[in-house]
Amino acid sequence: MESYAAMGEGEARETVIEACRRGDRDAFRLLFEKHKDRVYSIALYFFGGDEATACDVTQAVFLKLFTRIAQFQGESEFATWLYRLTTNACVDELRRRRRFLQFGEGMEVREPRDKPSHDEALARAEAAGEVKRAVAMLRPKLRVVMLLKYFEELSYEEIAAVVGCSKGTVASRLNRGHKILARKLGHLRPSLMRAEQEG
Amino acid sequence: MFTKHVKKHLSAYAHGELTTEEAERVAGHLRACANCRAEFDQIKLGVRLAECLPSVSAPERLWEGIESALVREQSHSKQRGSQAPSHEPARARSERLFRSEKIFGARGFPSRRRSLAAFALACLALAACGALLFMRASQPSWQVARLEGAPRIDSDQIGDRGRLAVGEWLETDAASRAEIAVANIGQVEVDPNTRVRLVATRVNEHRLELARGTLHARIWAPPRLFFVNTPSAVAADLGCAYTLEVDDAGRGLLHVTAGYVALEDGARESVVPAGAACLTKPGAGPGTPFFEDAPDAYVAALARYDFAGDRAALDTLLDGARTRDTLTLWHLLSRANNTDRARVYERLAAIAPPPEGVTREGVLRLDRTMLDAWKDRLESDWTDESFPAVRRAWRKLFE
Repeated sequence: MESYAAMGEGEARETVIEACRRGDRDAFRLLFEKHKDRVYSIALYFFGGDEATACDVTQAVFLKLFTRIAQFQGESEFATWLYRLTTNACVDELRRRRRFLQFGEGMEVREPRDKPSHDEALARAEAAGEVKRAVAMLRPKLRVVMLLKYFEELSYEEIAAVVGCSKGTVASRLNRGHKILARKLGHLRPSLMRAEQEG
Repeated sequence: MFTKHVKKHLSAYAHGELTTEEAERVAGHLRACANCRAEFDQIKLGVRLAECLPSVSAPERLWEGIESALVREQSHSKQRGSQAPSHEPARARSERLFRSEKIFGARGFPSRRRSLAAFALACLALAACGALLFMRASQPSWQVARLEGAPRIDSDQIGDRGRLAVGEWLETDAASRAEIAVANIGQVEVDPNTRVRLVATRVNEHRLELARGTLHARIWAPPRLFFVNTPSAVAADLGCAYTLEVDDAGRGLLHVTAGYVALEDGARESVVPAGAACLTKPGAGPGTPFFEDAPDAYVAALARYDFAGDRAALDTLLDGARTRDTLTLWHLLSRANNTDRARVYERLAAIAPPPEGVTREGVLRLDRTMLDAWKDRLESDWTDESFPAVRRAWRKLFE
């Protein structure tokens, strides 16, 4: 483990991935620890705060990642590959669940358990709950690009590679997502502005 | 560039995704255009709101499930690589065990009498093994191919190929998939997290039980040869391809991609053509089939009518029915009470008048011949096939 710490990030990642290909369990664990929160966050917000589904999706993503890592030849960025697995797993699970939603069990939007606040402005913390609900109501295509942008901080080009569309489509989906959030949550504007001025 | 409005570039502008030149042009346009400025104000609010989403920590317990699945996968890979004993052919494994000293105990049999006893025991054991092998070999079974991960048959991991005998369970975990050859009449692909049992295989019946999970069936045999039992209905193949899912509560969803499938529970039957789906629920049996391109509100109303006893939902079903939804209305005829049945009849007749010889009175008293005659007329609207009549003739030939 110390040897990874001494390397540059890119080199360490390559070394860890290579160790994973050889079936090194410690390397698997390192890769998991490095990416689990972001994969889990995407799944959690994608499914409106449903923790059990987020856990299932996260496990499925990492199992698929570890069982297929030999196929990862580095043609694309590792992160692109990982987030493609994540978004595909979310969309697949959504398709599966949606078919059973007809029994009248609509997706319940729940509050995820947040990490302890790191000096978030009060207004932002208050807004977070409403934003979560609004994001959960976005169409899946819009939801995915919003989550990739705001959790992974991916560039438009990277999002396009993950989702398999053009940069223009990413821009268009983000535009629509932003406008929907602004329309639904316009009442939060004053408190956000106050928080920004005070911050 | 950007001589027109710049609305579609505003998120990219806010995120710094434009080139310097593009960004300058957008900025210039925004100074001059109040309309785009108002839009940019909205986009900026959307960006600020999205930035409020906090990251969340994954629960610690996640790794345990992943690690145990990894252990299973790795041990499976090793066994395949090294021809481990559990993957020896049954006969070779039995012979190897039979030869093992442990069968006789570590000390062996020093005396002649003991040797004779050992010989007799060995003969008995050999006969028993032979009988077991014969019984197993003569027991009908289907070939199973591993597609991914480590599928299990009755708790034993299979190699790249295995056999599923009558009574045995095939189980896949979150990372496994398998394909079953259904005798010589088709294939069933088994998705992850699925548990399926071979119930029967004989000339006139091949039957699986799907306890949970998802399977995709492709059958190229005459109708009613292949069946899948689920906790809430039996899917009877009428010459088709379909996906069947069962959740942990025993509820099912059938989605037909080619041909027809019948979902049955006692006297209740739903005939589901390609492009349509049908839900099933324990205690209620198969619901009413619907086309998958029906609006969500329509499908939700149907579920309320079928499973929650919400008679008011019938208004939505009648008002929102399209030509293809005669599939749903025709099935509702035999499920609705007398009052509702008359309303369903009127709506169905308005969309697709009954053929000659089919009367209102006959339909309302559920005359089977009349209902079938009307269904035969409606079927051309339910299928994209060029020759529904040929398919009907094919089915009738075998019924």
